[in-house]
Amino acid sequence: MSQRKVLQGNIIIAKAALAAGCDFFAGYPITPSSEIAQYMSKEMPKMERAFIQMEDEIASLGACIGASLAGKKALTATSGPGFSLMQEHLGMAVMAEVPLVIVNVMRGGPSTGMPTKPSQADMMQARWGTHGDHPIIAVYPAFSDEIFSETVRAFNLSEKYWNPVIILLDEVLAKAHMDVEIPEPGSYEVYWEKTHEISDLNIYDRNIGENPPRIDFFHSYPIHIDSLEHDAHGWPSFDAKTVDKMQRLRMEKIFYNLEDIIKYKEYFLDDAEVLVFSFGISARAALAAVKMAREQGIKAGLFQALTVWPFPRAALQERFKKTKKVLTVELNMGQMKYEIERIAPPDVKKQTLLRANGLPFSPGEVLETIKEFVK
Amino acid sequence: MKKYEIRYGGVGGQGIITAGALLVDIAVEMENKFAIESPTYTAAVRGGPTKVDVIISDEAIDFPHAQAIDFFLCTDQKPYDIYKERLKDDAIVVVDSHLVLELGDTRHWRVYHVPIINETKVGAGNVVLTSVVSLALTQKMTNVISYENMVAHIKHWAPKGSVEMNMKAIEVGMNLIK
Repeated sequence: MSQRKVLQGNIIIAKAALAAGCDFFAGYPITPSSEIAQYMSKEMPKMERAFIQMEDEIASLGACIGASLAGKKALTATSGPGFSLMQEHLGMAVMAEVPLVIVNVMRGGPSTGMPTKPSQADMMQARWGTHGDHPIIAVYPAFSDEIFSETVRAFNLSEKYWNPVIILLDEVLAKAHMDVEIPEPGSYEVYWEKTHEISDLNIYDRNIGENPPRIDFFHSYPIHIDSLEHDAHGWPSFDAKTVDKMQRLRMEKIFYNLEDIIKYKEYFLDDAEVLVFSFGISARAALAAVKMAREQGIKAGLFQALTVWPFPRAALQERFKKTKKVLTVELNMGQMKYEIERIAPPDVKKQTLLRANGLPFSPGEVLETIKEFVK
Repeated sequence: MKKYEIRYGGVGGQGIITAGALLVDIAVEMENKFAIESPTYTAAVRGGPTKVDVIISDEAIDFPHAQAIDFFLCTDQKPYDIYKERLKDDAIVVVDSHLVLELGDTRHWRVYHVPIINETKVGAGNVVLTSVVSLALTQKMTNVISYENMVAHIKHWAPKGSVEMNMKAIEVGMNLIK
């Protein structure tokens, strides 16, 4: 085991991104994510990797799309207001199937909201922020070692499935300094199957459910990239049959690979009477609460989602066969609770613990809600 | 020691958040403990009330904010008023004797009144050394890190040319409470 060291949450993300091969960063600093850009601005030039501070968040994601098309692993980091500005380009990255990673260190919203306060209120924005039917992957680490591993995984998933991946992080953890184990290079997977060899120019052509190849778009191939709906070659097409196939290709590259994409952790769930569903900083409060509940003889367990989009539906539904009470804990006015309501059978009782005033839940508050719920 | 929770309160610029960062560095990198430091993070950096929570544990830490504080050190009235919560019965409370005057009900705590800021200025020569003075005071009162590791870390951490004054700050901190 390598020696644990002390790092700030934002810096763990930056280090993990570099470890995953990130060689392009474009961003516009915003609280509480700024240390990511700051660290990259110092470290990337030393590694002969590109860092650009852009004029705003719209341009930042535009630059990332361009860099990714040229074969780079691109990253940007922002918070809610910047993430709002990125939605248009996020849609383009989805449409043109461009791998890239966006970090959103969430803060109190809406609008500029509370820059220095935590919030988990961009959950639905991460899923549906950009318009049109679209596939998206979002991961949400809660513990220090997960911040590293999920960041590496975000890059891998984006490269594998030609899709933007969003990393959500809590302000509380972005700013805290904590012990973390940075694994040795080689001890974790770094996915990179870039190819310069393609047999024909129909780069978007593949069977439904198959991963697309990762090509360097600018490696001497006359390839067309378009935000308009397009055919296999990338040329605009509104032919109903073609459009139908392209929509399915994009959606189903994710939905045929849920097992590879979805990750979660389960604590004390085997005999649980109440399942606490949570993520990020709220899951940490919930884990402490579940342990306290167990000490008091209450059979509580925690389902911590690491992949929040696509939603870990099958794993939760498996648990709902036996556990008939679910408590959703999230720092917002109620977002992921609707996913739970959608997938939990009618005989499962649903309760929530919600708040959006800038204060994270304490373990004691979660415990009290569990106790009230099991009465 | 299974888990120990420490809170420092002060006003921005005194160096209280640095004290928390130093403590976590020593606990993790020199003593192989698990630790996390959560500072307040506001627009009011200089002169505004600030606090930092430090949790040091033999086991991985579930929740990063202090829930049952063993040791509270505070160098100003306003942060004292705001942050004197979640203290354990029998908690050690160290306050600046010139700057924290209204303590309220302290029956359940062991309270020490110490001229931290003044002694830092006079004894160590610069108020920015409040961080190291507070760290040394914490070491002496709690033993949550070892004296040897603290000295070694500060020697390594201190900017060039400032090792001597930082060692002096440790001495001041160790002698504030006899």
